Amino acid sequence: MELHLKIKSAINAFKKFSLSGKLGLILILLILLMAIFAPWLSPHPHQRSSGSALIPPDSEHILGTDDLGIDLWAQITNGARISLLVGFGTALLAAVGGGIMGIVAAYKGGLIDKILMRLIDIMMVMPDLPVMILLAAFFGPSLFNIILVLAIFSWIRPARIVRSQVLMLKEQSYIKSAESYGAKSWYLIRKHFLPEVSPLLAVSIIRLSSRAIVAEAGLSFLGLGDPTSRSWGLIIHHALNFQGIYYTSFWRWWLLYPWLALTILTVSLAFIGRDLERIVDPRLGN
Amino acid sequence: MFKKASSRLSLLVLICLLIMMTVACGVEEATEESVEEETVDVVRLEGGQDDGYPSPYAHHRRGPGSYKMNLIFDSMLERDEEGWVPWLAEDYEISEDGLEILFTIRDGVKWQDGEEMTAEDVKFSYEYSLEYPMVRTYVQKDDEIEVELKNDNQVLFIAPEPDAVLAHDLGRIPIIPKHIWKDVDDPENYLEEEAVVGTGPYQLDEYNLEHGTYRFEAFEDFWGPNQSVEAIEFIPVSDDIMAFEQGDIDLTRIGTDLLSRFEEQEGFEVVQNPAFWGYRLRFNMEDNPQLEVTELRQAINYALDLEDVVDRDARGAGVAGNAGIVPPDHVMYNPEVKEYDQDLDKAEELLIKLGYENTTEEGVRYNEAGEELSFDLFVRDDDVRLGEIVEEQLSDLGIGVNVISEERQSHDDRLRNYDYQLIIHGGGGWGGDPDYLRERFMSPAADERGDVEQQSLGYDNSELNQLLAEQRYEVDEERREEMIFEVQEILAEDIPQIPLYYPAEYTAYRADSYDDWMHMFDHHALEHPKLSYLERD
Repeated sequence: MELHLKIKSAINAFKKFSLSGKLGLILILLILLMAIFAPWLSPHPHQRSSGSALIPPDSEHILGTDDLGIDLWAQITNGARISLLVGFGTALLAAVGGGIMGIVAAYKGGLIDKILMRLIDIMMVMPDLPVMILLAAFFGPSLFNIILVLAIFSWIRPARIVRSQVLMLKEQSYIKSAESYGAKSWYLIRKHFLPEVSPLLAVSIIRLSSRAIVAEAGLSFLGLGDPTSRSWGLIIHHALNFQGIYYTSFWRWWLLYPWLALTILTVSLAFIGRDLERIVDPRLGN
Repeated sequence: MFKKASSRLSLLVLICLLIMMTVACGVEEATEESVEEETVDVVRLEGGQDDGYPSPYAHHRRGPGSYKMNLIFDSMLERDEEGWVPWLAEDYEISEDGLEILFTIRDGVKWQDGEEMTAEDVKFSYEYSLEYPMVRTYVQKDDEIEVELKNDNQVLFIAPEPDAVLAHDLGRIPIIPKHIWKDVDDPENYLEEEAVVGTGPYQLDEYNLEHGTYRFEAFEDFWGPNQSVEAIEFIPVSDDIMAFEQGDIDLTRIGTDLLSRFEEQEGFEVVQNPAFWGYRLRFNMEDNPQLEVTELRQAINYALDLEDVVDRDARGAGVAGNAGIVPPDHVMYNPEVKEYDQDLDKAEELLIKLGYENTTEEGVRYNEAGEELSFDLFVRDDDVRLGEIVEEQLSDLGIGVNVISEERQSHDDRLRNYDYQLIIHGGGGWGGDPDYLRERFMSPAADERGDVEQQSLGYDNSELNQLLAEQRYEVDEERREEMIFEVQEILAEDIPQIPLYYPAEYTAYRADSYDDWMHMFDHHALEHPKLSYLERD
């Protein structure tokens, strides 16, 4: 019975999305499934060659192979894991971290608030790409470092949104009365603030993840990702490093498919993000 | 009736057109042929990168810089397709004991400012280059080579001990005018117009540091063969292939996949560059007891399929590595050395003999002491793909390789500090005098660690050491070649490092505008030799 209700509410939630939002949800679900079942989806390994180099798509290699003879479909399905991991990992880290900072700053106020706000100001004026390149080069290329570096530059937005929301909330009479009954900060955060700001954080997560996915691809493309991983950005990086690729036919699969995968993922996230924002904050749309 | 006439008419027109076209083609071909005899107005090449001011002291170190300087400055000897040829020196003689070299300087050579060039200038250039080393220095003060003017046109150099390559080293010093340089005491910052007065076939007409553009013009009173090009221009381009296709530049380097595009097109020529650059897999044999074992290194060589490496990393444009180090295009290449075609059975046999019988769950071999065959392989970020291929091939044998890529600076530091287990080292100079084998493989004296970047520390073969030391003083060419051949045989047996492959890219040029390009016997670029721009027989 409970399961039945849950499915029903999920369907209701789904119905709230616009057509493009629904499309986005379906595509994300497909990519998620692709990432989970990656090893079973492709008959070829994604780490080593399984044919000659640069074979155009055929029945054996449905998306062709790259310059080392590694199957591209295998790389794209496995690369989805990296993209999703980086995207949602960064977003979660940034949203949770930024959210906590925002709540603390708003609720505690005073000096802590001032320090945090100035820190946010500094982070906001810092040009993120050059610093990210510097940090990535300094920490050395690895997936975890990339997530960390991206998160360092992503927590500002959720922190600011959450702070302003909490500033408004803490003046509400029910919070005041809870306080007068002796509610501790942690209790208030857990019971009142988090549930109120979580929809906002959800929107942030979606926004941030699509940004992180593109940033990971960008850093990998600049050669700062884990060089032997098979992320989408890295496939594009290797393809574009190939001399005169546009004068050959190779770009038609080697460059096109990873680019397409990346585009589909970020566009879907953008659709979902837009709808979520509308659902969470009815003032924005109708 | 009318219809018939019109179809006949159109047929007639068509035939006329065809005839006219063939005639036109014929005419065009004829003019092209006659053009070939004359000089070409201008040859344009890819520029856009500052290579320094083309004086012997202010050009940048890399090839494009020094070869621009060479257009202006002559030296006593020059290199053509076959070897060294007399240039400003008409002739040179080496005494029987190998200690004295007598250069006879050509008469009637003019500096680009109209003055006469003399043997005095040669002596001055040598002495000045000792005092102030030029960007590319081949003879140093420590070598203690004396110079004296024999008479008006002869210069004698006297060395304290015989040296097989001294004549060439002296012969490549750019000759600079005494009347200009004698009062200059800060040659690196001497950037006046006079600083680029040489005796060479071309003089500097325009130079722009910011845009990286150069223009060289033929020097009318040049002593030597006629210039076949009136002017050489280096211009900035955004995409070299596109610029080449559109005719903005006359020559460019292309990969294998663009071959068909240019080979079949009328008016384009494509040549493959000789392979004088190389990637090699180096072992740290000093800090790593496992890698000190010759059989392990041999097994690694047997596990590698170097033809496949060339195919995948260079799209076939290269020559698979030779265990004897010296590339096959080299004049002293020994084709008889031990070969290591991929042979996994043989490699496995060697490893089992060494005790690496069992494998872990990940497929990495280990011996009874529990030592795993698992290594870190460092590569430069541009060469990650090459590292991945090596990793893949070695994993088939049960050797685990962890590829770590670094940007160029850290990579070079690592090479210099000997801070690695395995490393892929890419570099040039494989076409030069085989004395480089001494720099790479002769074990240094106990207290001395000269050029660690090149040396193979931890590798020590006394027979090889002796050969490498002796060949340097062997003035008899044939005897020296025998020694170098023997050296290669020992190296192929010991495998102190594994040459992976020698890239041999392709150069495409627009033969309809200029086609007199040539390669020097030891260099890979067509546009570098000054003889490429002079009339030859």
